[in-house]
Amino acid sequence: MEAAKMASPKSAPKDAQVMAQILKDMGITEYEPRVINQMLEFAYRYVTTILEDAKIYSSHAKKSSVDADDVRLAIQCRTDQSFTSPPPRDFLLDIARQKNQTPLPLIKPYSGPRLPPDRYCLTAPNYRLKALQKKVSSTAGRITVPRLSVGAVSSRPSTPTLGTPSAQTVSVSAKVGAPVSLAGQRFTVQIPSSQPAGKSATPTTPTVQNVLINPSLIGPKNILITTNMVSQGTASEPNPLKRKHEDEDDYDTL
Amino acid sequence: DRQTLVAVLQFLRRSNLRESEEILRREARLLGDDLGAAALSPASAGLLGGSGSDADSGEALLGRGAGAAAVAIGSSVATVATSSPGVAAVATVPPGKGETRGRCGVGASSRRDPWELGCPCAGVSPWCWNTRIGAVVVEDQPDVSAVLSAYNQQGDPTLYEEYYSGLKHFIECSLDCHRAELSQLFYPLFVHMYLELVYNQHESEAKSFFERFHGDQECYYQDDLRVLSSLTKKEHMKGNETMLDFRTSKFVLRISRDSYQLLKRHLQEKQNNQIWNIVQEHLYIDIFDGMPRSKQQIDAMVGSLAGEAKREANKAKVFFGLLKEPEFDVPLDDEDEEGENEEGKPKKKKPKKDNVGSKSKKQDPNAPPQNRIPLPELKDSDKLDKVMNMKEAARRVRLGPECLPSICFYTFLNAYQGLTAVDITDDSSMIVGGFADSTVRVWSVTPKKLRSVKTAADLSLIDKESDDVLERIMDEKTASELKILYGHSGPVYGTSFSPDRNYLLSCSEDGTVRLWSLQTFTCLVGYKGHNYPVWDTQFSPYGYYFVSGGHDRVARLWATDHYQPLRIFAGHLADVTCTRFHPNSNYIATGSADRTIRLWDVLNGNCVRIFTGHKGPIHSLAFSPNGRFLATGATDGRVLLWDIGHGLMVGELKGHTDTIYALRFSRDGEILASGSMDNTVRLWDAVKAFEDLETDDFTTATGHINLPENSQDLLLGTYMTKSTPVVHLHFTRRNLLLAAGAYSSQ
Repeated sequence: MEAAKMASPKSAPKDAQVMAQILKDMGITEYEPRVINQMLEFAYRYVTTILEDAKIYSSHAKKSSVDADDVRLAIQCRTDQSFTSPPPRDFLLDIARQKNQTPLPLIKPYSGPRLPPDRYCLTAPNYRLKALQKKVSSTAGRITVPRLSVGAVSSRPSTPTLGTPSAQTVSVSAKVGAPVSLAGQRFTVQIPSSQPAGKSATPTTPTVQNVLINPSLIGPKNILITTNMVSQGTASEPNPLKRKHEDEDDYDTL
Repeated sequence: DRQTLVAVLQFLRRSNLRESEEILRREARLLGDDLGAAALSPASAGLLGGSGSDADSGEALLGRGAGAAAVAIGSSVATVATSSPGVAAVATVPPGKGETRGRCGVGASSRRDPWELGCPCAGVSPWCWNTRIGAVVVEDQPDVSAVLSAYNQQGDPTLYEEYYSGLKHFIECSLDCHRAELSQLFYPLFVHMYLELVYNQHESEAKSFFERFHGDQECYYQDDLRVLSSLTKKEHMKGNETMLDFRTSKFVLRISRDSYQLLKRHLQEKQNNQIWNIVQEHLYIDIFDGMPRSKQQIDAMVGSLAGEAKREANKAKVFFGLLKEPEFDVPLDDEDEEGENEEGKPKKKKPKKDNVGSKSKKQDPNAPPQNRIPLPELKDSDKLDKVMNMKEAARRVRLGPECLPSICFYTFLNAYQGLTAVDITDDSSMIVGGFADSTVRVWSVTPKKLRSVKTAADLSLIDKESDDVLERIMDEKTASELKILYGHSGPVYGTSFSPDRNYLLSCSEDGTVRLWSLQTFTCLVGYKGHNYPVWDTQFSPYGYYFVSGGHDRVARLWATDHYQPLRIFAGHLADVTCTRFHPNSNYIATGSADRTIRLWDVLNGNCVRIFTGHKGPIHSLAFSPNGRFLATGATDGRVLLWDIGHGLMVGELKGHTDTIYALRFSRDGEILASGSMDNTVRLWDAVKAFEDLETDDFTTATGHINLPENSQDLLLGTYMTKSTPVVHLHFTRRNLLLAAGAYSSQ
């Protein structure tokens, strides 16, 4: 951890100094300098949200100005919503007592891999949405993008996981190999328009290792490329600059 | 009921409502010599006050606690009179949940007629009355505000500092032998008085109280005090679960009888009712007969958020022995002549584990019955694994002070401080790293690459009848040394391989525990139960079960084929940071941020041991291979050794200067290795640390320990890395020590 660099009084704004002082009072001595910015941002956002809520409450109560009660109510509502805390101790002791009364279930011998019922596992075969219009594609085994997905996927290549981008994209991270082929593993990479391919590929390097990204695809618009690990063909698209939510190529036939 | 009536009468007398009193007395035809009444009067008085404001049934009032009572009492001396018809109804309410309270100047044990015994300050100072009312313990409150309301107005806020300094003065002037024990009172009293002031919204008094006395507390409480200093308003208290738990659970102090008598006498002589009330309400004083403890002894054991452990918490029988190894035929192997028998002879069992003093045929009295908890059966692959294990064990290096292990360090490069969890398989063939970017990466340590099963299309092509079908199903084309597993949506804080190397567990800040298959390198199940970050997880030594512990202050026992936990271990006051199975899989040890370690029984979920003594959150636990001892490491840099059977601390290893994240016993239990954030690995002599334990009756009865200052003698070696904190330690089957950590350039 880098040592705390206290900004010199001349250059740091007052708020930053206050935040640094708060961190010091709470006993945090080692932190990266960006922590102050992050904390300040959080503080501004939180206070703004609370005050906006308070204004709404006070106007609802037909008051002329926002007073302490409104603020208090706003804080309380937000706390229940955003900052939930773990359940209280007696509740935990209660459910623990209930749970611990049932004896441990016997183990059936020789029952193969012991997994929960299928609906609780992630072992279901993968599904994809089909585009309404099919288009003949030159290369087989290439990808697909369902029409719904672009724009809904966040454009942060540094998103930690690629297995759970959003509900709309069809990529699913896991399958048990046996019944369906492993072609189902998909990784969604969105390359924001402003960045060149190389730079954006770097944070997501682990995922794009099996992807061929044709630089011609990178255009001024956001491009959503779903890559297939087993994909053999090049990823060249007929209309690289067109938004992918329009007609897409054929889906892999399994 | 009688007692309640007496109490009510007493109350009426105090409030000078003679008429009501006479009426009631006549009705009840009481004799004035009930003693328990003294103790119960506050409870009833509370009831009464409540009924003054609210004519509901007394039971509901008792449930609502003193909050209502205090408010009522302050304003309703008059209304009490009107409620005298209600008094009779109230009086029939059973005393219920209130605990015995000391009253002003009267000890609960004094056997005098409560009518004759005047309260020394009755009618003189209004706060005295309030104190009595308010000092009702409210138990079992799901309602947070009711819980907090036991902190209602308790006396004049400006006098708190005087009470505290008065007590301080008394303790400092007491005899040396008692002083150490009585000083244990400072911290809980300080916290409770401060919280009372805050709850009753006397901010400035609270602040000045804090300023004045927080420096007197022991150094190891400083972290708590810092958190406390940020709680300045009543609203702050509501969100802080740890503080709420602190307030509702009783802080346990172990004090010798002599010291206790001294304290009690002092508090009852003076007008220090406030302190006496707090002592009775929030502290549990575990009295023992014997010599008072020295400061050193006390310092070794205190430090947890709830004081020490009550002696009866550590009295349950624990089966710390190991399960018998099953007998099976060992296949004849011509390469290897040593250590192998054809049939399952007893001799086979020795190289594997160290059953303390028990022959393989006789049942170890300390071992649990074989079927105490259901365990999975031994598959053929498991038997092969055991055979391999035995072969390796035969070649194992016997370690000792003269023969230290070689250490092989695996450094994770380019992790950018993102390495959060490491695990190594038992046969040391694979390493897994959990990272802050939510990936789980598996490496093969041996030249053999990681292979996953072929795709379905390819599998249909192979010849299923061939002998090496198990090799053919593996895909050579995608074999690699590294496999990356994606799935979590938060940093991965714990990883664990299954003993049969088929599964991998990982737990993360997103609240789930994921089971991965190491044959297909895909995620199989996500276990959702904790809704808060899960800090640690571990497979049972026999597979099938696993335990996880997280921010919600509980540890959960799961089985791979149940989507809900089988057991919930609740009891810690703060996050559960570390969870480990006992080698016989019947017990689970959990270390927590409340600075205690608890040992739980898998069979029924009971907490069978509580170990206090660490001064910081516990981050590493290790059971000795023979199952008798537990080693724990925390942020205070000390390794503490515990005897599970007796429930005592038996050793303290000082030397590290920073948090200890890795602890491991060697395969036969001779060496304990510890790795820490101070970039060192230290080796300690475990055999010497555990020999000559004094476990006489006095020690076990009182929990007194006399720890020898022998850390230096036990330290066998210190090995420094170059700015790489040690995150994981593992002894291979041949007693080579592997260590893992991420290089952090400074």
